[in-house]
Amino acid sequence: MTELSVSTTVASHVPQVPLPEAPPKVTVRNLNFYYGEHHALKNINLTLGTNRVTAFIGPSGCGKSTLLRIFNRMYDLYPGQRAVGQLMLDQTNILDPKLDLNLLRARVGMVFQKPTPFPMTIYENIAFGIRLYEKISKSEMDDRVEKALRGGALWNEVKDKLNASGLSLSGGQQQRLCIARTVAVRPEVILFDEPCSALDPISTAKVEELIQELSEDYTIAIVTHNMQQAARVSDKTAFMYLGELIEFDDTNKIFTSPSDRRTQDYITGRFG
Amino acid sequence: MADMAVQSDVMEAAGPYDRAKALSAFKLGDLTFYWITRISAISVLLILGGIILSLIAGAWPAMKEYGFAFLWTQRWAPSADPPVLGALGPIYGTLITSVIAMMVAIPVGIGIAVFLTELCPQMLRRPIGIAIELLAGIPSIIYGMWGFFVLGPFLANTFQPFMIRLFEGVPVLGAVFAGPPSYLSLFNAALILAIMVLPFITAISVDVFKTVPPVLKEAAYGMGCTTWEVVSNVVIPYTRVGVIGGIMLALGRALGETMAVTFIIGNSFRISSSIFAPGTTISAAIASEFAESDGLHQSGLILLGLLLFVLTFFVLAGARLMLMRLETKAGK
Repeated sequence: MTELSVSTTVASHVPQVPLPEAPPKVTVRNLNFYYGEHHALKNINLTLGTNRVTAFIGPSGCGKSTLLRIFNRMYDLYPGQRAVGQLMLDQTNILDPKLDLNLLRARVGMVFQKPTPFPMTIYENIAFGIRLYEKISKSEMDDRVEKALRGGALWNEVKDKLNASGLSLSGGQQQRLCIARTVAVRPEVILFDEPCSALDPISTAKVEELIQELSEDYTIAIVTHNMQQAARVSDKTAFMYLGELIEFDDTNKIFTSPSDRRTQDYITGRFG
Repeated sequence: MADMAVQSDVMEAAGPYDRAKALSAFKLGDLTFYWITRISAISVLLILGGIILSLIAGAWPAMKEYGFAFLWTQRWAPSADPPVLGALGPIYGTLITSVIAMMVAIPVGIGIAVFLTELCPQMLRRPIGIAIELLAGIPSIIYGMWGFFVLGPFLANTFQPFMIRLFEGVPVLGAVFAGPPSYLSLFNAALILAIMVLPFITAISVDVFKTVPPVLKEAAYGMGCTTWEVVSNVVIPYTRVGVIGGIMLALGRALGETMAVTFIIGNSFRISSSIFAPGTTISAAIASEFAESDGLHQSGLILLGLLLFVLTFFVLAGARLMLMRLETKAGK
């Protein structure tokens, strides 16, 4: 593939006029991350705009997923991993050791690479998360579950089998169930960690469409290996390489006229 | 390239004969293996059938003499003439001790497993794990002696008087925790059983908890679940078949455990409402009386053994049924 053809195909999906600059939802300042001795993220600075989709691209091991897992402090589950620097969600310091992690994770939801339905019915998969934070009646719960499943573009496929196991769905449906489950808790930010890498193209298209719809109400960060996907769904793109943030700009600009040589090489497929 | 082509031609020419010969040797090996495994598998059925048959044959005189009344007669007087034998006491004791043992061992055993897999600092994990395994390796006679010399006196002097005082005058519980305190009681036996089966539940739970994919737990934590919510809503439902399997193994052992129980249960065939009173279990009754029994008495003991067999079978079948119901409920 030539450089030109890639750029044009990619560019054709990008909105021609970039959205206006959004107020920052998440602000990252001089963020460093360590796996024990290994310095995995070096001096990251960026912001996630409110109700914008920010894509993170870069070769495997560049630290994109690591960065995502700092946003909801998922790394806290594992000893020996630590983050240094400043990371703000609105006015909340995410890295504050005294922060209530359960509350943080209610505000910052996450969808994983592999679908992770819980071992319960489809209905319960959604209701479970809501029940963690709210005491509501059965009929209200029914409404919320339906709304969440509609939000996950799954309602029409599962409305007749809400009592079937979440594990009985296909891979793409399971992933949309996980998205619906995340949305049901009403977070402010949703993190997607390669949400489509285990899905077929049709399911991928559905999930991408969903991400676009969700961006009207949520701030979204998505890690992806698929550059067309980044170009299709995101407003801003961050290119990372070897633990550093190389370039962070409007998606449009990154894929048409990147300012760094390494970004250019990566998006044109010369390495990575 | 040309060399190789020539070579492979040569090999093919020599091939068919050699291969067939080599294969036939394998075939013979396969056939032998097939029969060895098949005979091993069939022998299980034969041995099981043989045991049931010999139990029935041994128990036949008692079955003819007492019929179904054996099941609900409480009196056990082998030296009367003719001997009066009833299995109600041992059946009651077996069920009660096992139920109490499981009530103690299930929460504690699963709790230890949760602690070891989810909460325990890495440094403590191995020592506790090894201690649990050692607990499983202690011979039951040692549990019996410990129960008789240490646990029994301790319970009789402290825990039992406390409970008896606490529930005095309370309608139902007052009868369940009635005095006098005793070294030898159903409750002591049940507690020893609980300690004995604990390692089974813990070891199997730990193994199955480790099979939960980390990403599934992360997903639950990612929704803001606490460790308790992750364990109770994700880890245990995900592994319930394995956990219940461990519980059944433990229950099987509790129902049939003989030596330790014989030491501390008191070998009384009378049924008392109090769990602090002495009692007996099927296996304890057989162990303590079989050596000096003959005739109808011996046949009655064999019938007790057959009952234990049937009881265990029904308990395991019931567990299977429960598992199937659980699975339909989860919509699998």
